[in-house]
Amino acid sequence: MKRNSLTSPDKGNPSGRHALRQHISMYLSIFRLRGNMELQYRGAMVGGIVCQTFFGLILIALYRALYDTRPQTLPLQNVVTYVWLQQAFFRMLLATDGDLSDKILTGGIAYDLCRPADLYSLYFVRIMAQKLTGSLMRGIPMMLIAFLLPKGWGAAPPASLPHLFCALFALFLGLVCVCALENITMGFTMLTLDPRGLQGMMHLLMMIFAGNILPLTLFPDSWQKIITCLPFAQMLDAPIRFYTGDYALADAGRILPLQALWAVLLIFSGRFLWKHNQKRLVLQGG
Amino acid sequence: MNTLHLYLRSMGILMKSRLQYPASFLMQTLAQLIMEGGELLAVILLIQRFEGVRQWVAGDLYFFFGIMSVTFYLTECFGRGLTGTFPSMVRSGHLDTLLLRPRGVLTQVLCSDMDPRRIACIAVGTTALVMGSHMSHVVWTLPRVLLLMEAILFGCMLILGLFLIEAVFCIHSIKSVELVNAITYGGRSACEYPVNIYPRTLQILFTCLAPFALVLQVPASHILGKPLFGWPEWTAFVTPLSGAAVFSLMYLLFRQAVGHYRSSGS
Repeated sequence: MKRNSLTSPDKGNPSGRHALRQHISMYLSIFRLRGNMELQYRGAMVGGIVCQTFFGLILIALYRALYDTRPQTLPLQNVVTYVWLQQAFFRMLLATDGDLSDKILTGGIAYDLCRPADLYSLYFVRIMAQKLTGSLMRGIPMMLIAFLLPKGWGAAPPASLPHLFCALFALFLGLVCVCALENITMGFTMLTLDPRGLQGMMHLLMMIFAGNILPLTLFPDSWQKIITCLPFAQMLDAPIRFYTGDYALADAGRILPLQALWAVLLIFSGRFLWKHNQKRLVLQGG
Repeated sequence: MNTLHLYLRSMGILMKSRLQYPASFLMQTLAQLIMEGGELLAVILLIQRFEGVRQWVAGDLYFFFGIMSVTFYLTECFGRGLTGTFPSMVRSGHLDTLLLRPRGVLTQVLCSDMDPRRIACIAVGTTALVMGSHMSHVVWTLPRVLLLMEAILFGCMLILGLFLIEAVFCIHSIKSVELVNAITYGGRSACEYPVNIYPRTLQILFTCLAPFALVLQVPASHILGKPLFGWPEWTAFVTPLSGAAVFSLMYLLFRQAVGHYRSSGS
């Protein structure tokens, strides 16, 4: 049934509710298939975890030394937890769907056009499955390791239970933002036919302004107002700040709508781009 | 000499071929510039906030960052055959063709690829070096210039040696091994800062096993006039040789691994 819903032409189905249910189950099964595929690469997962843990330890050693020399108002433990969460969810920011850009470059996208589904949503679900599964299967073991490390090196538990809920909700909104942005990059690949330029540029901006290279909380205080408003800060920085308590619960009324706003904006512009692309589509390959 | 001639000639050819698509080349070089610029930005922002760490002031930290990134990206630029394309050579079975030719395998691997985009990273590194030496008031004498060049040269050998480990793993397991990245890229990230700020275990790792500290940082700290481990002046000229030692050792392992190579191609 899962498979059937992928291929059965149900576009002309008269009953709206039935069609809706079928659509949802279709996207769910794409999500599941794609997620399963990501789960296959367990060797890469272990390698990735060891690598990221090592990088995390080096960064924390550096910040510890810096704090030793000159303590700051921002607690060191918050920085340490920030680093661990960034390393754990690294895969959410930086995983590209190579198959997808190949599809665009080789003309395989024609098959997806035949499917009774909206192309944008189809790819959105695909990207989301990869990012969510990839980051959870790396993030959860890594956070377990991070919790077991001695105090001052390991991650701290969330500031409070409500903070955790806020962080989870913010993480969901962040994930939507990441996927929407990735889909925009994919859309541009259809125009330029070279994924490397724009994709590379986006990744670099993400590494810097999502707080991967340096926690955004350590950026100069005068920059905070601007960088926390950028779309990149909505992806991982906002949820992490809720988790560590750098954002108070009262800030949720400001931050969560901002995240939602960016998500809507990114999805809207992505849809627009894909619609434009589909109108004047040139299939590559033969 | 013949080998060197061969290498230079292939570098020339590769350079020409890379420049055939100038727009794409420029875009990618720009991306590299932003990447390394971002790393430098992180160092600048940290220095703004913390002003320094242990005995090292801002200028010293820029200098350490600069020497590391110049060395690492010089290696990635001219040794890309080993640092970048080797795993895919093994996977595709392309390595077989190299085994048939009457030249050393490593020579051919190194001749097979170069990455001129890294010039952007080297430029950023050089900027940091100049900035650092200016801020720390380094007086450039002939021995110091020679020392810097020696450090960079042997640094390249050390990094090539570390990538050889990856190559050895790759020959045995066919896959590219992310794990080994920890030592190469992790070493780069860690040793952008002087190692004596780290806890003992990391210090030992980067002094004895992957001796970035001996090859790059002991000379750099002498140029800055603040010996890293408090060792006398002449040691700065000797310690970089450990880079050559690592390279030779890994080269032997590599030759042995090539002896065990089984083709995966069809």
